[in-house]
Amino acid sequence: MGGYGDIQMIDENGIRMDGRKAGDLRPIEIETGVIPVADGSARVIWGNNHAVAAIYGPMEAHPRKIQRQDRAVLDVRYNMAPFSTSDRIRPGFNRRSREISKVTAEALESVVLVEMYPRSKIRVEIEILAAEAGTRCVGITAASVALAHAGIPMTDMVVSVASGKINDVVVCDLNKEEDNYGEADLPMGILPNSGELVFLQMDGDLSQEEFQKAWDYNMNAAQGIHEIMVDALKGGES
Amino acid sequence: MAIPLVPQLLRAHLAELAEQNHRMDGRGQWESREIELQTNVLPNAEGSAMVTMGDTIVYAGVKFQIMTPYPDRPNQGGLMCSAEVRPVAGRNWEAGPPSPESIELGRVVDRGIRESGCIDVDGLCIIPGEKAWQVILDLFAVSDDGNLFDAFALAGIAALRTAIVPEVKYEVSDSDRPLPISKTPIMCSYHKVGGRFVYDADGKEELGGDERIHITLGDDDNVHSLQKGLKGIFTANEFAEIMEHAKSRCGELRDLVHGGE
Amino acid sequence: MKEGRVARPDNMSVSDTADGPRNGRRASPLVTPGEDLGKSEGREAGHGVLVMDGRLTATKHGRMNEKGNEVSIQPLRTAYIPRPGDLVIGYVEGCTNNIWFIDIGAPFNAILPMSLGPGNTSFGGTRQVIDIGEAILCRIQEVEETHSSVVTMKGLGLRKIRSGTIEDVEPHLLGLLIGKKGNSLRDLKNESDCRIVVCDNGRIWVDGEFDGVVSVKTRLKEMTLESKAVGGVA
Repeated sequence: MGGYGDIQMIDENGIRMDGRKAGDLRPIEIETGVIPVADGSARVIWGNNHAVAAIYGPMEAHPRKIQRQDRAVLDVRYNMAPFSTSDRIRPGFNRRSREISKVTAEALESVVLVEMYPRSKIRVEIEILAAEAGTRCVGITAASVALAHAGIPMTDMVVSVASGKINDVVVCDLNKEEDNYGEADLPMGILPNSGELVFLQMDGDLSQEEFQKAWDYNMNAAQGIHEIMVDALKGGES
Repeated sequence: MAIPLVPQLLRAHLAELAEQNHRMDGRGQWESREIELQTNVLPNAEGSAMVTMGDTIVYAGVKFQIMTPYPDRPNQGGLMCSAEVRPVAGRNWEAGPPSPESIELGRVVDRGIRESGCIDVDGLCIIPGEKAWQVILDLFAVSDDGNLFDAFALAGIAALRTAIVPEVKYEVSDSDRPLPISKTPIMCSYHKVGGRFVYDADGKEELGGDERIHITLGDDDNVHSLQKGLKGIFTANEFAEIMEHAKSRCGELRDLVHGGE
Repeated sequence: MKEGRVARPDNMSVSDTADGPRNGRRASPLVTPGEDLGKSEGREAGHGVLVMDGRLTATKHGRMNEKGNEVSIQPLRTAYIPRPGDLVIGYVEGCTNNIWFIDIGAPFNAILPMSLGPGNTSFGGTRQVIDIGEAILCRIQEVEETHSSVVTMKGLGLRKIRSGTIEDVEPHLLGLLIGKKGNSLRDLKNESDCRIVVCDNGRIWVDGEFDGVVSVKTRLKEMTLESKAVGGVA
């Protein structure tokens, strides 16, 4: 978080640099079945983020040591393609990606009915092809849709979105400049039916009130995003 | 890559199909799958393309970096090609360090492009002996149903040909310019399936097939790179037949690339 | 990138009873994981449905079915889960002196013990009888969570597959392929003059004259494309 307070990112009428109001989401498009060789897949275009997720499995869990007798294991990989950011990312091990893979797996494991497939594994492959702030949220959302598309049973789908603060104003769904120069970032993973959470991170500086406002923005936004996810799966049927 | 199980029945069936001049999906021996090429598909890359061949889907992204020229070539920039086939692309692609398969993919595609001399490396010089442009071509597979070689090569050259050097961002000059590239090398790959060579093998044909041959031809049908992969034997006649097909098919694909510019 | 965004009242429904595709019924609704299916009182939760806080909730993406008071989901896409008695085609992935490891397209492999294999196997001679990469027609003998499922080749018609080809079809299309009372499958067999064995794990053994086999493969491909374009969502 840069905290460069001099850059004007929201004007006196509450309009942000990209024309949005404080509570507005960037445009989101979701499509399923985009990776034909996978058991399930989805693409999410969210602002200038472009992510795909593929599901393979449930399949035999190899190597043997990761197998669990009573449930499936979720093998999640979040990765950013070398050309996804302004500065090229060298392929190879990346700590940030490893952390995001872990928290993503933990979010998804909270809803996937893993006991239905003992001793097996379900691979979740998330690839960010273009990044513009909020990629971990885009990744989790894409993975949820892909899991549903693959026929994996879940108690609910995880909807992930982040809110933050720019120029002391709490706003929903930070874009790239807002994320770079803003003062806080609060990504969450929400279950739309119950409002329960499976994923939560935060960094920056928020007062208790600002925190509550960002929280509410996320909860509210999750409903709209969920509708887009359901619509993608139902293919336009009611 | 995990070595997939090759069902013996598949090989027997492919042999029977070959004898009857049939293929798994009903195509002719030299027929390609439905192909789609789109450029400028990645907003954060300076050049990009997506290629679809049947169910095979790949991306190519071009990024630029400033490099120090090599001492023996002080007025030239460079090209680096990197290929990744990550687990997203298929059941048999595993996580971990690059497999020999993906390394071969990257290097074979690299040679085809590099040896054609299509990129004007002198035109990449910024300050002789001090600074030059390095062009980095990243090839990225998203869905593997066979013939990643041709998909990568096609996406790669299409991305390079529509790439813009980011001179403004790197404060080299006050306007961006297109990457100086004058030719269009094209690769065609042939797999021996059921005892005969076919063009544009799909996933099943690759699984049950044997050796493969990759040919990169330039604008004038000049040969720029060749590679024979996997275990197997082929004859001079078989090679001549493949080369004939490559001459016409490379021309068609070249037109496809030019058509999108 | 395939898209199936057509919704028509005469959608194909691919239920276990293998009803004919175009029977004019209103399509059963598509549901997504987490979707509320109403009160649980007086209703039973079937496949793909959970009872949570007095409500029925869908856990899978598919079509909702109500038969009597049981609410279940017919998933659009599903992994093959073996059940005892299933007829399956498996590929030998490996073997020890007295066990073959069989890939049956399920979340975990099955084992074929020597005692349930072809009669003439001697200890240490497993590979000579059925080699790695070969395909067998067998039945699921036993499924237990703590160990692999067990298959058997003791039974009528069970054998090593020596000729023909094996096609993969998504398990949820099997009902459509077989048709009402097996009519569709019977017609296909007659037209092509081929042996067609449809297995529960979505694998189909087709054997016969070359032209017949090709016609069956073409029909299978058509069926898959049709289901994606009309009722199913790709």
